[in-house]
Amino acid sequence: MSRVQLKELRKSFGAVDVIKGVDLTIEPGEFCVFVGPSGCGKSTLLRMISGLEEQTSGVIEINGRDVSNVEPSERGIAMVFQNYALYPHLSVRENIGFGLSLARKPKTEIAQKVGKVAEILQLSDYLDRKPKELSGGQRQRVAIGRAIVRDPEVFLFDEPLSNLDAALRSQMRIELTDLHARLGATMIYVTHDQVEAMTMADKIVVLNGGRVEQVGSPMELYERPASPFVAEFIGSPKMNLYEGAVAQQLGANHAYGIRPEHLSVSETKGKWPVTVRHVERLGADTIVHLENDELGTIVARVEGSRAFRIGDKAFATPDPAREVRF
Amino acid sequence: MTRRQTITGLISMVVAFVLFVVPFLFVLINASKTAQDASQLDFSWPERWVFWENLVTTVQTRDYALLLAYWNSIVITVGAITLLVIFGAMVGYIVQRRPNRVTRIVYIITLSGLMIPPAVVPTIWLLQEINLFKTLHGMIFIQVAYGLGFTVLLYRNFIGTIPRELDEAAIIDGAKPWQVFFRVVLPLLKPVTVTIIVVQSITIFNDFTHPLYYLPGRDNITVQLTLYNFQSQFVSQMNLLFMNIMLITIPPLLVFIFFNRQIVAGMTSGAVKG
Amino acid sequence: MSAQARKSPYPYWFVLPAGLIFVIFFLVPTVTSFYFSLTYWDPFEARFAGWDNYVQFFSEPYLIQGTVNTLIFAFLTSGLKTALGLLLAVLLTSGMLGQSLLRSIIFFPVLVSTIGVGILFKEMMHPTDGFLNIVLDSIGLSKVGFLTNPSLALFSVALVDVWRGVGLATLIYIAGLATIGQEYYEAARIDGATRWQQFWRVTVPLVRPATTTVIILSLIGGLRLFDLIWAMTGGGPGFSSDVLASVIYKQYQAGFWGLSTAGNVILFLMIAFIVAPLAYWLNRRAIDA
Repeated sequence: MSRVQLKELRKSFGAVDVIKGVDLTIEPGEFCVFVGPSGCGKSTLLRMISGLEEQTSGVIEINGRDVSNVEPSERGIAMVFQNYALYPHLSVRENIGFGLSLARKPKTEIAQKVGKVAEILQLSDYLDRKPKELSGGQRQRVAIGRAIVRDPEVFLFDEPLSNLDAALRSQMRIELTDLHARLGATMIYVTHDQVEAMTMADKIVVLNGGRVEQVGSPMELYERPASPFVAEFIGSPKMNLYEGAVAQQLGANHAYGIRPEHLSVSETKGKWPVTVRHVERLGADTIVHLENDELGTIVARVEGSRAFRIGDKAFATPDPAREVRF
Repeated sequence: MTRRQTITGLISMVVAFVLFVVPFLFVLINASKTAQDASQLDFSWPERWVFWENLVTTVQTRDYALLLAYWNSIVITVGAITLLVIFGAMVGYIVQRRPNRVTRIVYIITLSGLMIPPAVVPTIWLLQEINLFKTLHGMIFIQVAYGLGFTVLLYRNFIGTIPRELDEAAIIDGAKPWQVFFRVVLPLLKPVTVTIIVVQSITIFNDFTHPLYYLPGRDNITVQLTLYNFQSQFVSQMNLLFMNIMLITIPPLLVFIFFNRQIVAGMTSGAVKG
Repeated sequence: MSAQARKSPYPYWFVLPAGLIFVIFFLVPTVTSFYFSLTYWDPFEARFAGWDNYVQFFSEPYLIQGTVNTLIFAFLTSGLKTALGLLLAVLLTSGMLGQSLLRSIIFFPVLVSTIGVGILFKEMMHPTDGFLNIVLDSIGLSKVGFLTNPSLALFSVALVDVWRGVGLATLIYIAGLATIGQEYYEAARIDGATRWQQFWRVTVPLVRPATTTVIILSLIGGLRLFDLIWAMTGGGPGFSSDVLASVIYKQYQAGFWGLSTAGNVILFLMIAFIVAPLAYWLNRRAIDA
C-alpha cells in the first residue's frame, strides 16, 4: 500500500512533447484509472512510472522514495501487460516464479510463494501447463499472478482487458475489482474504455494530448465535468454539446451540454421542436437521433417501450438541473 | 486431378528421372563395380556387386584418410555452428531491438559479407601472422566470419516476431540484459536456430574452396579435399572414386530427408522477404 | 531533477564477439587486399608496384580471358536459372501428379558436394568413354569433347552449374508464387486472358521480389564460382575455362600473390559495380510497380 506522486513530469520524443507537465497524487490503496483517447499519453505515463520509459524531466515518488532514476525491478512495482507477455516456453509455475528464480531465491521459498498466489487466483490446477494451453482469462490470471508474487507497492495495468471478448471482459472487471478489495493494494490502471473507468475506479484521471484534463471520482466526472472534452468523453451515448452562437443563446460562454438521458421527448409539447432522423431500439432503452433547425442533431435516450418512426415530429426538453455550461 | 495434370505429371517425372536421378544412379552403380568394370564408365550392370568391399577399401585408403577427414569436417562444422548461433543471434537481437544509426551500419556491414568475395591471399597472410594457418581453429573462425551475414539476416527477421513486451516483463522481473537474452529470447528462437544449423552445416560441410586455401596439408584435411585428392589416387580405380562421392553425398542426403522443411524455410526466408 | 541516461537493456557489447571475428577474419583481409593488390609480392619479396598488377591483368591474354569468362559464365547461368526456375516453379505449383516429389528431386543437387558433382559430370562428359558420349554415339551422333574442346569447356561447366542450382531458384520462386492471390488470376480470366497472357501479365510482375532475389543470388554465385570449374576443368583446356576465381588460385599457387590479390579486388569491384546497382534498380522498379 503506497502513495505515488508525480511532480511536473514531462516526456518528449525529439521535438514532440508527449507528456506536457503532469502533477498527480495517487493515494495508498486507491484504484486509479488513467483514461483518454488514443495518443493522449496514458500508456506513456504508466510506463514512466514503471521505469520502462525514461522521463525527460520531473520526479516520480513511490512511498515517499524518489524512484525517478531507479531500475524498474527495484521500484517496487509490478506490471500486467495488454498482451499478458507470458513467457511462452515456461510453465505457469515457472512464469509466476521467474522473477524469484532470477533473484536466486531458494526453491522452497519459490514453490511456497507461487503456490499461494496460484490459490488466490484459482490456478493451482494449471501450474504445469504452458501459456498456449490456457484460455484468455486464465492467461490474464497468470499475468496477474506474476505481478502479485512480486509483492509490489504499486500494481500497474496496461489495458489488460482490451484483448478479451465482451463477455469475458465484464467478468474480468468484476474479478479485478474483487482482487483490489482483497489485496487492498494501490493500483494504476490504463484504459481507453470509459465503461471500465467508470465501473472500476476510485479515482479517474482523464488525459488529453499529454495533459491532465480532470481528476476525480467517477460520479464527479459525470456530474461536474471540468471541460467539454471530459463531458463528451465520459458517458455513453455521448453528451450533446453545442458551441458558438447557439451555446451563448442558451446561456453558456463557450459550450452548452445536456446528456441524452437527461432529455425528455414528447409528441405534443416541449422546448425544442425536432424531427426524428434515426431510431435505435435496444430493448431496455431507445436511442433517438433528433434534428432541430438551430441546434442540429440532438441525441436522446428514452424508455425502451417507446417507438418512433423516422420523420415523426416531436419536442425535446432538457432537465434544467442537469444542464452543463462551460 | 485432371487428366492434363496427370499426364503432365507423368511426363515431368520421366524427364526429371532422366535428368536428375540418373546421374546419382550412375554413381551408385559404379560404386558397386570392380575397378575393371568401372573403368568403362557406362551404365552396365556390375558383374559382381562389390559395394561393401569398395566401401571398406575407400575408407582404408591412405591410412583411413577419409575417417580423419570426416572427423575434421565435423569438428569444423560443429564448432563454427555453435559460435554462429550464439554470436549471430546476439547481433541479430541488438540490430532488431535497438534500431539506430549505429546498429544499421553494423547490419549493413554484416550483410556485405554475403556479397563481398573473401580476399584469400591476404587472409592466409593474416592467419600466418596469428599462427592459425592450417589449423582447425582458424578454419572455424573463418567459417563463422563468412556465415555471419546469412545468420544475422535470419535471426534479425525472426526476432522481429517476438514481442518486446516479453523483454519488458523480464526486465520488471529483475532480469539483466544478458539474462533477458539467454533466458527469455534465445529459447524462443528455436525454429530459426534449427534452420540455421541445418542450412549452415550443409554449406560448411560441402565447402571445398576455403579449406583448399586455408587448410592445406594432410593433418587437417577435410572431406571435400580428400575427394579431390583421391582423383589422382584412384585414377585406375574409378569405382572407389565413385564410392567416395557416394560417401560424401550421404550426410546431406540424410539431413535433407529429416529436415526438408527447415532447409526450404531457411533458403527461402532470407530471400523472398525482399 | 533531470533524468540521467539509463543503460539500455540492449547493450552494444552484444555485438562484440561476432564483430571481433568478422573484423579480424573478413574485414581486415578485405581492406588490406586493396593495398596488397598494388604490390609485387612473392615468397621472397614484397615491394610496392603501383598499378602493375592491374596492367598485367588487362594485357595478358590468359588473364583477360579469365575476366571475360567470369562475366559470360555469371550472366549465362544466372539468366538460365532465372528463366528455368520460374517455368519450373509454375509447373510445380500447377497441381500436377507427383509435384512435391519432383520439387525434392530437382532441389537435391543443391545440397550435394560441388566437388562430387564436378567429378561425376567430368566422368560422364569424358570425351571418349563418358556416358553422355556413349549415348550420343549410340544414336548416331558424333562424340563431343565437352570439357576438352576449348570453345565448349566453359559452357559445359555452365550447364552443370545450372543443373545443380536451378532447384534453389525454383524453390525461391515457389515461395514467391505462393504470395500471389488467386483473385488476380480470376480477374484476368474474367477479362479474357489466355494462360500465356496470365503468365506474362499476372505472374511475372507479381513475382518480382523473388525474381530479384534469384537474379542477385545467382549472379553473385556465378561471379564467385570456383569449385565446379576447378573440379571439372581446372581452368582448361589451356585457360579457355578460367574464371577470376580460378585465376586467383592459380596465381596464388604460382607464388604471384600480389597479382592474385589484384584478381580478388577486380572480382570485388565487379560484384560491387554490377550487383549493387542492379539490386538497387530492380528494387526501385518493384516499388514503382
